[in-house]
Amino acid sequence: MHKKVQALTIPAQRIKIIPDSHPLPKGHDLSDTLIKIRGLKFSRGERMIIDGIDMDIPRKGITAIMGPSGTGKTTLLKLIGGQLHPDAGSIEVDGQNVHKLKTSQLYALRKRMGMLFQSGALLTDLSVFENVAYPLREHTRLSEGLIRQLVLLKLNAVGLRGAAQLMPSELSGGMARRVAMARAISLDPMMIMYDEPFTGQDPISKGVLVKLIRELNNVLDICSIVVSHDVQETLSIADYVYVISDGEIVGHGRPEDCKVSDSEWIRQFIDGLADGPVPFHYPAESVLDDLITGNTKS
Amino acid sequence: MMLLFDKLQSLGHSSLTSLQRLGRGHVFLMQVLPAMEGMLFRPGLLIRQMYSVGVLTLLIIVVAGLFVGMVMALQSYYALVDFGAEDSVSVMVVLSLLRELGPVVTALLFAGRAGSALTAEIGLMKATEQLSGMEMMAVNPIERVIAPRFLAGFLSMPLLAAIFSAVGVMGGYLVAVELLGLDAGAFWSQAVSNVDLYHDLGNGMIKSAVFGFVVVWIAVFEGYDCVPTSDGLGKATTRTVVHSSLAVLGLDFVLTALMFSE
Repeated sequence: MHKKVQALTIPAQRIKIIPDSHPLPKGHDLSDTLIKIRGLKFSRGERMIIDGIDMDIPRKGITAIMGPSGTGKTTLLKLIGGQLHPDAGSIEVDGQNVHKLKTSQLYALRKRMGMLFQSGALLTDLSVFENVAYPLREHTRLSEGLIRQLVLLKLNAVGLRGAAQLMPSELSGGMARRVAMARAISLDPMMIMYDEPFTGQDPISKGVLVKLIRELNNVLDICSIVVSHDVQETLSIADYVYVISDGEIVGHGRPEDCKVSDSEWIRQFIDGLADGPVPFHYPAESVLDDLITGNTKS
Repeated sequence: MMLLFDKLQSLGHSSLTSLQRLGRGHVFLMQVLPAMEGMLFRPGLLIRQMYSVGVLTLLIIVVAGLFVGMVMALQSYYALVDFGAEDSVSVMVVLSLLRELGPVVTALLFAGRAGSALTAEIGLMKATEQLSGMEMMAVNPIERVIAPRFLAGFLSMPLLAAIFSAVGVMGGYLVAVELLGLDAGAFWSQAVSNVDLYHDLGNGMIKSAVFGFVVVWIAVFEGYDCVPTSDGLGKATTRTVVHSSLAVLGLDFVLTALMFSE
């Protein structure tokens, strides 16, 4: 079952396949792929952000994409959602090539995707209730009574039914993300993408978000993609983990295997080491040239 | 020599950047114009923006119009009284307001108040990922956010210019008749007999519609295209006011030359 992922064309000198020692959780079937990424490349100007990634994300379960800041994780989510166009390669979501769809087809696909942005991305001129109702009002012709019931159910699922009438400016960061989660599931999507859900949260909020991501995934039985650099929280809920660095996959496997991996890339990331394959120093001339002899151009 | 090349390179780069922005602005406009039809089915979006862009700009327009009209009357009186032509004060005030000051000053105030607010609002929505969030909810932000603001601004400008001119004339009346003691009948009869509905009022309205289109185009584009940082947002807001003002003044010359040349 797992061989399919191992067979992907990932740069041989860097990739470390994590041993297949743990059984996959029930329902985490890698052969039933929802998102298939092949040879994906994306650059901004001359800087390569994503450099030839291959990835399979199963239809059910939580897949974590981890890696240091600035390595293209959020960009990858935007590419999956069709908000960015790749330089090369393809992304298929539920059998549809995202970047070959017409606008109307892409929007139809997005109705089946939920996305939680790092900031929550709540519409600031609408109340919590109206934010969650927004996709329902835009895409359905449900009666006002039914919309009210659905919205309150979604808010109840994230524990914020009592905050329905608050404005986004009255919410804490953690509450805003929970409202965004309720909004993301309002159309009962087949997948939810979480962009850095734990960043800047206090331990209690982190715990709540971890619990909600796990529970929502279990209850809705969907595909969840969590992009994060919060190691402990992410590993505690993920069924499968991809580790990205400099736009390439440097390892993938189950969370248990990540923790014991001997890959220097993964070790540096998991253990939070200041120096390693991701260097402490930004590339520069030697200290001698730069500071003593003054040979380099400033 | 190297310095010269550096200067040339810098000039070329900034020229290319400006051309790119101009191109993006036109592509953006081509996306916004077809999205207007959505307003037919959701008039509520337009009405909300008309309030935000138009009604909330009313106070500054009324106050400015009143004072401009008063100053115009005063200056005209001082200039004309030496020639015994003070009865023509109303003609000076009304024609200046309808042809030039109404559309131009309203557009400048509109750019400063509503234009900068539009840029800041849209830019902040971009910076806080609200526009991206809408896209991911399969909602086109051009239709839901940009088009209502664009149409509201375009429709509001001629109305605001008309109010500016009307209040300006009243300000001129107050100064000329109530303060300086000119005859009220002469004031109104001179004004009515020397103003042509199409040539003066009509052209003034056309001017204000053109200014409204340009100002609101610049404002929403700057917001939508801004770098989503506090610095980028600040620069975009400044650009809106500066570019809009220059565009209004430049266009005013062109339109005046076309409309009022004999």
